[in-house]
Amino acid sequence: MSAASRTSWRLIDTGLRPAAENIAINRAMLEARQEGLIPNTLRFLRFLPSALVGYHQCVEQELRTDYCTAHGIAIQRRVTGGGAIYFDETQIGWELYLDRRTLGTADMQEISRRICEMAAAGIRRLGVDARFRPRNDIEVDGKKISGTGGAFEGGSILYQGTLLIEFDVEKMLRVLRIPAEKLSDKAIASARERVANLKDLLGTSPRREAVMQSLARSFAEGFGVEFEPAAEMNFAEREKFHHALAEIDHPDWIDLVSRPLSEAPLVEGLHRTTGGLLRVALGIDLPKNRIKQAWFTGDFFVNPRRMIVDLEAALRDTPLDELHSTVDGFFRSYPVEMLQLRPADFVQTIENALASLAGAPLPMAGGAPS
Amino acid sequence: MGAVRGCNLPEDLFYNVDNNVWAKREADGNVSVGLTSYACSLAGEIVSYTPKKIGKAVEKDKSCATVESGKWVGPVKTPVAGEVVAINDAVAGKPGTINKDPYTQGWVVKIKPANWDADAATLKSGADALAAFEAKMQADNFKGC
Repeated sequence: MSAASRTSWRLIDTGLRPAAENIAINRAMLEARQEGLIPNTLRFLRFLPSALVGYHQCVEQELRTDYCTAHGIAIQRRVTGGGAIYFDETQIGWELYLDRRTLGTADMQEISRRICEMAAAGIRRLGVDARFRPRNDIEVDGKKISGTGGAFEGGSILYQGTLLIEFDVEKMLRVLRIPAEKLSDKAIASARERVANLKDLLGTSPRREAVMQSLARSFAEGFGVEFEPAAEMNFAEREKFHHALAEIDHPDWIDLVSRPLSEAPLVEGLHRTTGGLLRVALGIDLPKNRIKQAWFTGDFFVNPRRMIVDLEAALRDTPLDELHSTVDGFFRSYPVEMLQLRPADFVQTIENALASLAGAPLPMAGGAPS
Repeated sequence: MGAVRGCNLPEDLFYNVDNNVWAKREADGNVSVGLTSYACSLAGEIVSYTPKKIGKAVEKDKSCATVESGKWVGPVKTPVAGEVVAINDAVAGKPGTINKDPYTQGWVVKIKPANWDADAATLKSGADALAAFEAKMQADNFKGC
């Protein structure tokens, strides 16, 4: 297809904003796209320091709110799904607002995959080997560099992702109520094994403009379109934005989902094997009887090392009664070399952590497991 | 039991095909609302469910609940207007129930309809519904449940 005949989509950079404004723009643009008031759009955005929970998450269960408040970190709720994140000026957000018919499929996982593969290709242009990791991450050698999520409204979708240019891992550990060990050097080192950023990978921070250009080029190629930059939102969007901001910049929205902290305990388990000590920190969703998140550490040997983060990804949101089958299924299809360590040892470590829940008072109050 | 491309679509239910939802008038006059098996297949496993509160008035074709699957969040659009009179505790505890059993255990909300006859007249059932779903699946390039 020649450039002249290519469909033109809009590209807009809404700059550095507080979280409430960025999320109000999500709502405004998705509605505007659904009502045909804007064309298909690629948006870039940045955040003043913010802790963002997913649409269905509870702030108290996911964030260390005292720390956020004391350090001027805004707390907000996304319109999209997924888990809590820390977002600040060192990251770039990218978002697509599309008519679903553009995608040629209505299968939501297929849509995620296609968009993430394009985003990964855009990150690769910068010189790092970024790959899509099902279901919603983009990683470099097992370390997450971009997390994504979406929302839909009628025939329109919003799909968004983060991209870490630089990243303050320690701050993330302090903001999120994740099953990390206490905030030791070890925990920070362990988090660094799971999260990547462009500065560390490239030795220097790429220019923001270069990052946006790379992503835009890959989306343009992937969809077979060209982007036409727009300086600002159109009139209809601005109207919708102001309306949405009144709702979103409000405690009723931020606390839309509220559940007791005791329903989301953080527990830890140890298991000694002949191959070494295995340790797991678990976040549990008690009402749904599910593992929210698992974090393995210890002095064992596995090759490749990224097997651990891939196992953690496989365990996310796993019902407790499917623990055995999930772990078995994972190892059946994952080639790994382990020294005196068996798949059953990972199950046992988790079961040891779960045993601390039975009958005992639940670990409470935002503390990291000890 | 009707089916299109392997997706169960009971012919006695009333469907809004565009919004991929069904309605069923119960013996007490209230209307159960849920997602179709086709919607579930497109979404993947549903992991979160937030219904509107009991007592809340909902407009036809507006959201009566929000669901999440694979990090996608979206509304369930009620095919009938009225007042929410029941939400599904079993689904709240195990949202995947919607996927496993979308037409019985996995109902999303029950609504006291404002005007069932008028709303039902805009919905499709039986062979009409099956034909409309076939057309939708064709447009969506859908391979099958």
